[in-house]
Amino acid sequence: MMCAKFFKKLVVAVMLLTPPCAAFAAHGASPLKVVEEIKVDAPIEKVWAVVDDFAHPVSTYSVERIETSGNNVPDQAERRLFLKDGVTITEVLTKRDGERFMIGVHRKTDNIQLLPAVNYTSLITLRPVDQGHSVIEWKARFYRGYPNNNPPPELNDDVAVAAVKKLIIGELAALKNYIEKPAGR
Amino acid sequence: MRKQTLSGVIFLSTLFFSNALLADEAFITAQNGQSLDIIDLSSMKKRLSVPIEGKPAGVAVSKNGRRVFVTSPEGRFITVVDTKTGHIEQRILVKGGPLGVVVSNTGRRLYVTDFYDDMLVEIDLKTHKQRRLAIGPKPAGLALTPDGKMLLVAARDDNQIVFVDAHRFRQVDRLQVGRHPFGVTIDDDGRSAYAANVESDTVSVIDLVSRKARATLHVESHPYGVALASERIFVSNQHSESLSVFNAKDLTPVATVKVGDYPEGICASLDGATVYVANWFSNELWAIDALSLKVRAKTATSDGPRAFGLFVGPAL
Repeated sequence: MMCAKFFKKLVVAVMLLTPPCAAFAAHGASPLKVVEEIKVDAPIEKVWAVVDDFAHPVSTYSVERIETSGNNVPDQAERRLFLKDGVTITEVLTKRDGERFMIGVHRKTDNIQLLPAVNYTSLITLRPVDQGHSVIEWKARFYRGYPNNNPPPELNDDVAVAAVKKLIIGELAALKNYIEKPAGR
Repeated sequence: MRKQTLSGVIFLSTLFFSNALLADEAFITAQNGQSLDIIDLSSMKKRLSVPIEGKPAGVAVSKNGRRVFVTSPEGRFITVVDTKTGHIEQRILVKGGPLGVVVSNTGRRLYVTDFYDDMLVEIDLKTHKQRRLAIGPKPAGLALTPDGKMLLVAARDDNQIVFVDAHRFRQVDRLQVGRHPFGVTIDDDGRSAYAANVESDTVSVIDLVSRKARATLHVESHPYGVALASERIFVSNQHSESLSVFNAKDLTPVATVKVGDYPEGICASLDGATVYVANWFSNELWAIDALSLKVRAKTATSDGPRAFGLFVGPAL
């Protein structure tokens, strides 16, 4: 038992020390889900103009600069968010559907210090409420930060769900604020 | 008059029996909602929802339709459920984390992939004895040939399909396929197998005699599972909200069908006329006509339907 505990601590320590990996990271057997939405006081076209632009500057992270490539083409377009302390997040556009007002985004750089979840993918969909209002729905799929069974408490399913929920609520609020405030544009 | 009555009886009984033959049920594991939904497929209505802990994912139905076997990778057990009543008959512990499951033709044995311990596990349901066989990192989907002799197991992180002699419980071969094979399906005559390679957006078509890849099908983003119906191949593409459809004979593409968000588990009806797909993000089961490719019906499921395995069985 001692041995197993020590081993787990060692694994977690190695995971925390290893730089975030852009390859397909190992993950568990049980994908997790968070769904949040926010109402925006703007017509769907105006919201879509922001959401559809993969290079849009809205983020809850304190981003120093953004680099984009791939011209908004799914599976090619990438954005790199450069945060303070030299941390970067690379995301790829997986889906862009103007008819359904939907984009998909996959985070290539798992970094459990930044977000205790891996293989994080989002589906962001808009729907109209009336002429002047719309709803942004943000659905995320991910796995807990610990790839094996018996996760340590700091990297279990509940921690991952809470962290992603907090992130998405923040992202939605930032989007709403950006779209509704003409001053910032 | 008598003749009329007799033909009436024949007509009615034909109707009754054909209906009885056509009625299937779906057993949908809802991984996030932690339940097993039993859905009557003739009405597309949920008949029962059985709470099952441990994030249920994999599913298999016994040939006689009496029992359904559900894997809980986080709970480290398999739940045996009476399909008629939804009563939980047994819980079988599996050391690491059971994910994929198939049941032998007689219903005596289960074959289970242990995703966390990298093993294939054989469970004798009578003696409760377990045998374990090392497969390679992250074994996921598996399938059994119709004669019950050979198992094909996806060794996901090895990018390989492992051929296992089911009786001797030994590896006989390994075949390199695309990146991250997940779902594996074998056709009814035991000639071909299909492996969905999630990270390379392909399906490997495997000849079961030569144990070589016969062809590679190019599908949409993140293929997860394969179903075979009406001489067609149906592939669920997680990231594209679609099914890629191919002609099973000449492997030519037929169409792409839009489905719900994040389609995962996919399975044909017993008569092969319909294909059912579980949409993990939108919590729906869709029924698609295998020939016209039209969406026949949709029904809501519990949260996070995974339905990983052959989830359709006969209604009793």
